[in-house]
This record gives sequence, C-alpha cells and structure tokens, in this order.
Amino acid sequence: MKKYLQVFKITFKEYFVYRLNFLLWRVRNVAQLLVLYFLWQAAIPEGQTVFGYDQTKMLTYILGVSIIRSFVLASRSVEVASDIATGDLSNFLLKPLGYFRYWFTRDIADKILNFSLAVIEITLVIFILHPPLVFQKSLHLLFLTLLAVGVGTILYFYFSLLLAMIAFWSPENSWSPRFLFLIVLEFFAGGLFPLDILPGLVFRSLSFLPFPYLLFFPLNVYLGKLTSGEILFGLSVGLVWVFLFYRAVKFTFQLGLKNYTAWGR
Amino acid sequence: MCDILSVMAVVRVRGLKRYYQVYEKEPGVGGLVRSFFKRKYKEVRAVDGVSFEIEQGELVGFIGPNGAGKTTVLKCLSGLLFPTAGSASVLGFTPFKREQAFQRQIALVMGQKNQLFWDLPPMETFVLNKEIYDIPQKKFKETLNELSRLLEVEDVLNIQVRKLSLGQRMKCELIATVLHSPVVLFLDEPTIGLDVVMQKKIRDFLKDYNRRHRATILLTSHYMGDVKELCKRVIIINKGKLLFDGQLNEVVEKYAPEKILSVVFSQEFDLRKLDKIGKVKELDFPKATISVPRGATSVAAAELLQHFPVADLNIEEIPIEEIIRQVFTGK
Repeated sequence: MKKYLQVFKITFKEYFVYRLNFLLWRVRNVAQLLVLYFLWQAAIPEGQTVFGYDQTKMLTYILGVSIIRSFVLASRSVEVASDIATGDLSNFLLKPLGYFRYWFTRDIADKILNFSLAVIEITLVIFILHPPLVFQKSLHLLFLTLLAVGVGTILYFYFSLLLAMIAFWSPENSWSPRFLFLIVLEFFAGGLFPLDILPGLVFRSLSFLPFPYLLFFPLNVYLGKLTSGEILFGLSVGLVWVFLFYRAVKFTFQLGLKNYTAWGR
Repeated sequence: MCDILSVMAVVRVRGLKRYYQVYEKEPGVGGLVRSFFKRKYKEVRAVDGVSFEIEQGELVGFIGPNGAGKTTVLKCLSGLLFPTAGSASVLGFTPFKREQAFQRQIALVMGQKNQLFWDLPPMETFVLNKEIYDIPQKKFKETLNELSRLLEVEDVLNIQVRKLSLGQRMKCELIATVLHSPVVLFLDEPTIGLDVVMQKKIRDFLKDYNRRHRATILLTSHYMGDVKELCKRVIIINKGKLLFDGQLNEVVEKYAPEKILSVVFSQEFDLRKLDKIGKVKELDFPKATISVPRGATSVAAAELLQHFPVADLNIEEIPIEEIIRQVFTGK
C-alpha cells in the first residue's frame, strides 16, 4: 500500500511545481461555474418557472453540480492514452505495480485537490452572490450521497480508461473520440442542466444509460428528491455499469497489450 | 548444492518471432485520403526465428544494424511484448505473464526514454521505486549512496529532473533502474548520446555490477567500444535473424581471415615489389598497409624486414568495426 501512498504524494507535489499553471487551472474552473450560473440566471427570470424549475432551484442545481463535478470528473487517467501512444506504458509494465491502481491513486489525489479548492471557490461565490442553498441534514441521505458519488467516481474511472485504450489501435488519434465523448457526457450526465427537464420518455430511457449516474443522480440523492426505491434502482443500475465497464477495460487492456509494440522505446 | 540457476540457463530463447503490422502512408494529400479509406498493411518481421541461451553471470553484447530486431528481442525478454511465435524464458518465468517475482529480479534500461518524473527531483522517483520494490530503508540508503557516489550524482538528487544535463539524467535513470538490485539486466543503448568520459563511467559501472552481483547482462550498443570492453560473447543479428553467436575474438577469426601489416619505409624502392608480400590496401609513401592471410603473417613480416627498407612495422587485426560492417553488409 505504501507504494500508492508515494504515488499520491508525487501527484500532489507535481501540481505545486508550476504556480502560474495552477492558478490558471483554478481560474478556468471558476469561469466555467460563473458562465453556467449567469446563463441560467438570465434564462429563468425571477418569479417564473421554466421546465418546472424556478430560478433559485436551478441555481442550487448548478452550484451543486459544480461541487460533484469537481470530484467525480476530476481525473488524471486521460494520460493513459499518451502513455500507450508514446510507449511510456512500458515503464509500468516492467514494475511490480498495478497500472490501474496507479492511475486510480493519481485520480484520487487529483479529485481531493480539485474538490478542496472547488469548495473554497464556491464558498466565495456563495458569499458574493447569495444564492439559495439546500443543506441536507439527514445523515441517511448524506451517506447515500457518498455512496452515489463513489459509484459515479469508479464509473468515470473505467469510462476514462476504456477511452484511453483506443490508443492501442490508433495511437495518433486518441484525442478526438475523447473530446466527442466529453461533450456528450457533459450533456447526458446533467452537467449543463438538470436532466428531468427533458421529455419524460427521453429522461426515463436515459436512466438506463451510465451517464446520469456521474452527476445528476448523486446530486438528486443529496437534494432529497428521490424515493428510497428510486435511490436503490439508481445505485443498482450504476453498479451494473461499473461491472460492465470493468470487464470491458480488463478485456480491452489484455487485448491491447498483445497488440502493444512499445513504440519509441 | 544444486542451485537451480546453475543448471539452467538464465535466459532461454527458442525460435522467437515477433511480427508487426504497419500501414503505409503515401505522401501528399491524395495519399492521405486514400490511406484514410483503405489502408495498405505491411508485415514487418522484426524478429524472425531467433534462438540463444545465456548463463548466469554472463555479459553478452547484442549487436546488429538499426532495425535488426535487437530492441524487440529485449522487449520480449522483459515482458513488454507478446511474441508472435516461439518462446522466451527468463529465470524460468515466461516474461509476458509479468509475474511480480519476475519483475522484482529484472530491469530494462532504455537509453532513449525515461522513467524519472520530469517535474520533480530524481529522489522522488527513487523513493517511489523503493516502495514499489519493497526495498528496506537501510538497504535503499546504502545502495543509493553507493550508486550516486560511483556515478558522481550525489549533488543533483534533489534538483528537478528537467534541469539536469543529459549525462546526469541518464545516470539517474540508471540508478532508478538498478535500485532493486536486479539479477538480470537488459540494456538498450545505455551510452547513447553520452561523451567518452561518461561512456567509460557507465561501462565501468556495468562491469562492476556484473562482477559483484553475478548479474546476467544483455546489452545492445552501436558503440563497438562498449562491446569490446564489456563483452566476451556477442550475438549478432540482422533483419531479425541470428548471424553469429560466440566469442568476440571468434568473430574476428571467422570474418577476418586476414591481418594487416602497416609499414613505414625508410627509403624509396620499387613499390611494385610489395605485391609479392600480400594485398596492398593503402599506399602513401612512406606508409603502406598490406593485408595478408592470418596464417602467413609471420612469414610476410619476416620477408618485409629482410628485403625492404623498413623503418617501422606493426601487425594489426582488422578493426572490429570494419569486421562487423562486413558481417552486416554480407561482404
């Protein structure tokens, strides 16, 4: 376990090497939040309801999603693709070290850092803009929220790895599918708007796909909008997807390694 | 005492093959579009049926021109590549299975790439490797002190890797790779891009490492100096096939049936007479080089000394570089 602790430390240290880079990264995060915030503030005039959401509810959602996003979607495992394409993967294959665990550790380090800073930034935003907030007091729901965030986190991790595996077969264009995927993901995970403003049939179909379990579902558990049955259903569907992606990643990795040529090394 | 390693070859390669599929891109926009819709694949036989064995403690030079398949063999032996056919075993393990017990005992050094974290000091990578290989703190300290003293990098261990010179970085790479005291070392161009002083340091280090740990070392290099100084035995491959496997001096005997007499004359004479001694390769009075059959060397030398105005005479082997070049080009 100590090896992963050192991986964790190294990941942290790397962030603090370049101060400007670090600062710009944070500015980008705040900017992203503010854009969404003001967009929805303008889209829903005060006192009116759009898609069943009034302004305060929508703004609460946007702030909540930023917090969840800062944990679930923060990730370093994007670099797996370049590891494969450049042959740096070889470094890991030579050592008694779990490659997926290595990247999961780096992801967690990234998530903790990103989340902590996002909390500070969002607190500042709240302090300045005074949006309405929902504090969940039920320990039971808070626990289920953590569980849902955990499922989303692992789901996204395997997602991200699976995308990176493309590099085994197409080392020169692993970025385009990822880019396309990220846009789709933002949309269907509920990163831009709450998914329940979509037509009923579309929304119900979506709930069988993995996307909502990244952002929309954990946030709704927190907001107390779901019944126990709905929470159970959501966690189950999420876990099934985790399992499917896990198998797919394992399988693809083994297949990819047979095809791997350790180029450039 | 029946040590399993002493009765079994440490490295065993049998009919190893590794083929690659590569697709060809034609030049120009037209070619780009065509290759987008229909790709022409070509099979590259990087390694095409190679067999050899290496015993414990041997230091073997693996030579061949660029693209001969050397690196591919090393990658197969260290578990990075899945062989297309044939088998490889190292310390009794099948490398591609990448078992931890196997990984703890081997190392692959690549002169071209690095494992050090670019933005952090080398020390961070060393500590990570310490944890990865479960090296006890005391042993880690000892090994690190010794290696960094030997390679003279004690004062750069805490400087960001990107700020190190190429030589310093390569030496730190080497330290990171052997911290866990591997008993089998694969080295691919370990001295590439280094100056002669640094090359010598690395060679001395390898020689010493081989002796003290009874480590088995297989090394590729384009610098014949590396091979000449380190390896008694060489394996030569070209186009994926094995050309020669044996003692370095046998290469000389096998591929260079001649020796070189280089002479300096003290006064002029009828230079055509030299043809009787042997094949005149270079003539630039007063110097001449003549190649003669290996067995006839002493007779030819005596003849020269007796009948010609000789100021200086040297009997030399054809330089190893020259012989290897002949082997590669098949001349």
